[in-house]
Amino acid sequence: MSHHHSIFCILPPHMLDQVAQSGTTAQRDMAARTLAASRQIRDRRGSITTSVMRGSITATGTAQRTVYDAKFGTNLPGSIARKEGDAPVADVAVNEAYDGSGATHDLYSVAFGRNSIDNHGMNLNSTVHYDKGYDNAFWDGQQMVYGDGDEDLPASERLFNRFTISLDVIGHELTHGVTQYEANLVYKNQQGALNEAISDIFGSLVKQYQRDQTADAADWIIGEGLFTANINGAGIRSMKAPGTAYNDPVLGKDPQPAHMKDYLTTGQDNGGVHINSGIINHAFYISAIEIGGYAWAKAGQIWYKTLTEKLNSNSNFQNVADLTFQTAGEIFGVGSLEQIGVKTGWTEVGIAVVDSGGGIPPIPIPGGDGCLKGLLRSVGLAK
Amino acid sequence: MMRIIFERSGGFMGRKVSLDLDLATLPPDQADAVKLLVAESDFLNLTALPTNVSAPDGFAYSITVETGTIQHTIQASDANFPQALRPLLDDLLARARSR
Repeated sequence: MSHHHSIFCILPPHMLDQVAQSGTTAQRDMAARTLAASRQIRDRRGSITTSVMRGSITATGTAQRTVYDAKFGTNLPGSIARKEGDAPVADVAVNEAYDGSGATHDLYSVAFGRNSIDNHGMNLNSTVHYDKGYDNAFWDGQQMVYGDGDEDLPASERLFNRFTISLDVIGHELTHGVTQYEANLVYKNQQGALNEAISDIFGSLVKQYQRDQTADAADWIIGEGLFTANINGAGIRSMKAPGTAYNDPVLGKDPQPAHMKDYLTTGQDNGGVHINSGIINHAFYISAIEIGGYAWAKAGQIWYKTLTEKLNSNSNFQNVADLTFQTAGEIFGVGSLEQIGVKTGWTEVGIAVVDSGGGIPPIPIPGGDGCLKGLLRSVGLAK
Repeated sequence: MMRIIFERSGGFMGRKVSLDLDLATLPPDQADAVKLLVAESDFLNLTALPTNVSAPDGFAYSITVETGTIQHTIQASDANFPQALRPLLDDLLARARSR
């Protein structure tokens, strides 16, 4: 993480302003994040060449993807259908898994400086065509697995399309891997619902990043495109309005709550992890809207730092509320728009943030001996 | 008599699919086919699987078979589902999904 902060602290704002206005998506994102962070450190600015900045981005690694085909069986991983660098194949599910895991890798790499699932360049393995009539996708602890929905039923009876059709589903599954390597949240009750929400949050950010959408322009739907035309619904979940994603005679109504007063206590689904995640999802949505701009740039950054540095396997809703609030204060300043935005999100879903009263800690610099030296060390030019 | 109570929960959507099947309500040839699947899987002699094996977004399955004298339940997830039970699972899922 340290080279991150080094990059933050040496980009002059005028350059960032220019990049923020006219750069590519990736560059604009980098600039937006850096402008935010640089507020804390403007007295330690230096200069940097573009080549060094590019170098820092590629330092987070390139994707190493393999897509396997289970051929409608359940043996994992199956046979190789496409590996990194191969041209697209005729099978659309294979290409979607390949492209989607690449898009997810890109968001983590560019926006958060993460090198794959484990932050050490782990291979991204996906299996498509898992089982017959398998309307689901999951993370098995090592890889992503996707079914083809109701491919085995007549078209008029199908409820679900193939699960690779939705980019945020791919981002969701891969994020389960990230969570496993970081907070490793227990997959049960509030911890499990938080685990689920983190996958929805970053899954949605992958989609927003690919579409170059600001928070107010995004649809915040999870699983868009998963339902066939036989179903009345926009998708599986709505972070913007939990409980409204679908309402259908066959599937019933989206059961997600948007407020703690509707938290569901149940023995099903590991304690309703896919139900109660709506509360956290909605808090993130509100925060992102309050903060404005690209959701991955600020709200996403707050959550990424909280996930990777503060949450543990037993963290519950109150813990993540307090810790995201604290983290927002550390990154953007106590009482900043961003920190207030985080608090507003939690307040609106019925969680009162407990303010630990901490101030802004110093930016961590490698070796603690200055910004430029830290940067040089991070790119191998100093010891 | 034989009754099968089947439930699939969890998954990306968290939606429950269930079936309560009294074989007496099926045409005789179908009832015999299901009984054969139960026998071939050796269901009534399967021992309990570890209950804490779960994969995020994976399905959880519960199958209970009741005869006149025995009631036996097996719970499993996508992470540890026994291959021997797949043919029975496929049959139960097809019935549950077509309702």
